[in-house]
Amino acid sequence: MFMHLFSYRLKCLARDREVVFWTLIFPLILATMFYFAFDQLMGRQETFSPVRAAVVASDAYRQNIAFRQALGAISEPGEGQLIELTVTDDEREALRLLEDGAVAGVITVGDSVGLTVGQSGIEQSILKAVLDEYSHRYATVTGILRESPAIAGELIRELGQRRSYTKQISFSSAEPDTALNFFYALIAMTCLYGGFWGLRNTTDMQADLSPQGARRSAAPTHKLGVVLYDLAAALTISLAEVMVLLAYLMLVLRVSFGNESWYVLLTSLVGCIAGVSLGAFIGTYVRKSEGAKTGILIGTSMTMSFLAGLMIDTMKDMIARKAPVLSYINPAALITDAFYSLYIFESHRRFFLNIGLLLLISSSMCILSFLRLRRDRYASL
Amino acid sequence: MLVRVQNLVKRYGDLLALDHFSLEVGEGEILGLLGPNGSGKTTTINCILSLLKYDKGVIEVFGRPMAPDAYESKRNIGVVMQNVAVFQELRVDENIDYFCGMYVSDAKTRRRLVDEAIDFVGLGEFRKFYPRKLSGGLLRRLNIACGIAHKPKLIIMDEPTVAVDPQSRNKILEGIRELNRQGATVVYTSHYMEEVDQLCTRIVIMDKGKTLAAGTKEELKAMINDGETISVELYVLQPDDVAHIRQMPHVTRAEYADNHLTVHYDGGQHNLLNLLDYLRSRDLSFGRVFSEQPTLNDVFLEITGRQLRD
Repeated sequence: MFMHLFSYRLKCLARDREVVFWTLIFPLILATMFYFAFDQLMGRQETFSPVRAAVVASDAYRQNIAFRQALGAISEPGEGQLIELTVTDDEREALRLLEDGAVAGVITVGDSVGLTVGQSGIEQSILKAVLDEYSHRYATVTGILRESPAIAGELIRELGQRRSYTKQISFSSAEPDTALNFFYALIAMTCLYGGFWGLRNTTDMQADLSPQGARRSAAPTHKLGVVLYDLAAALTISLAEVMVLLAYLMLVLRVSFGNESWYVLLTSLVGCIAGVSLGAFIGTYVRKSEGAKTGILIGTSMTMSFLAGLMIDTMKDMIARKAPVLSYINPAALITDAFYSLYIFESHRRFFLNIGLLLLISSSMCILSFLRLRRDRYASL
Repeated sequence: MLVRVQNLVKRYGDLLALDHFSLEVGEGEILGLLGPNGSGKTTTINCILSLLKYDKGVIEVFGRPMAPDAYESKRNIGVVMQNVAVFQELRVDENIDYFCGMYVSDAKTRRRLVDEAIDFVGLGEFRKFYPRKLSGGLLRRLNIACGIAHKPKLIIMDEPTVAVDPQSRNKILEGIRELNRQGATVVYTSHYMEEVDQLCTRIVIMDKGKTLAAGTKEELKAMINDGETISVELYVLQPDDVAHIRQMPHVTRAEYADNHLTVHYDGGQHNLLNLLDYLRSRDLSFGRVFSEQPTLNDVFLEITGRQLRD
């Protein structure tokens, strides 16, 4: 009996092209769009180009050996090259280069080091920061030497070493990546779209919602059995769809989920349970037309996904800070966070907290739905 | 009795849908529940099937109280819903197999039953079709096949021929007779009096949730004063002739209008011969002649003062 009803239910759901589009094809399209939109953010950053600058080879510049050495060090071709330096004989030539856009700034050396820029921007800010740093250090060193010439040797040794006063403690082997959150939120949305199957199940099960429900209610099959067979079929198809999406993300788009495949599967399964339960809950408790219920389901799952960071990457963190309760009751946020904590944390504490909360929310919705579905007779049909 | 309904009361808010309605269905009957739309036929069926809550009354099927968990009784009931209750995503044979599988767990038996049901409703060449590819009539036949494939002892059919073409309707009605011949008891609701007239061995006429009359069609027709009605196309007829005809045996009414003489009888035999003999004796030439027996609509009209389809 189980296999018979389960397999036919599965056929019924899998052949519902409209719902298959929204629950499978649509997330695949979104994933592809995300991939192209966030390509730059996903570990394929532009290589840093040195900032082009001109320095006027005035007498003061030639005599300022320390400054020349400093500029030479940061403009030396190689991995650490910060500035691409052009030395001009006079200021007029340098300004012409600036005007032509050949350089971002002109460095002049007089009593102090000066910078002329044509506009403000990242390159100009870098140049200013470099020159400010030099001036600051120069003033510090000359000040110390004036006051205590005896420590000159020690000072030079100290300056030769870079010392960090903060210690980096790694909680993960992975680098934080905000773009991943979009993909995790997309999987969360797909899991919640499993609600379409839960919604369809409740419609096909209740005599007051569909003739099929009436025929099935008149049959000698226990209601709990029908609920479980249908639930199993809905979960199977929803999980299969999420698996297809995961495979596409992992194998084609190369989105990282960490190295713990079983936990990824567990998250997907629990996410699908949450989605199907959400659909069943809306299907049983919203007393509106099927179209209205579908609209409410889409609205709910999209709102949840939005709050989980589907559209704005900082949204999830903002909700976690400003309204933390929402993060704990929003299934999409919990699914997203479960995936992200798998990727970023080596400890599973936070992951299992998310999974536990998801199961709690899902079981609550399932129980409430069943209490309504088990109703054997209806007030009107 | 296969079905026994006693003093059933069902309210939808302020509307009294069933007003102490009672019904008995004996084994082997084709019982027709006849009434206009909104008379309570479908509500009665849904209460019998334990789909609807009701306010008062007793329902027994196969001698046992009917309840949602009366699985043994449900196993022997076939239901053909008023609305087509099939899955659009399953083919004809899959739909029948699915619903049959809710009653019969053995796969081999089920395969045979599905084949028989498909043959029975004449959907052999459409067995691999999806419902959306079927015409309204074929869809109704599929609806019936889904309800009767498991060979139930009691078949409840709620207006199974609504919006069906004449060919499919005849096929469906003939099928119901065949099921009955094979031993099934049928409860058939309709607001088509011709169908009930043709098909049912016993008829319950209901309106506003109450039984108006019950019996065989002959018994029902005998309840009203009207008998045969004869209509004759006549181009000339004097008032004296009409007055004479009114005096003939068993004539209750006679009118002449629009070149038609209409004569109503309350019984008697050879009324048509007697009338035509009179017209010939008066050298009155006549055209077409019609003789109509009383219908269930006449019965309904007599009892309620309204047409069945008002």
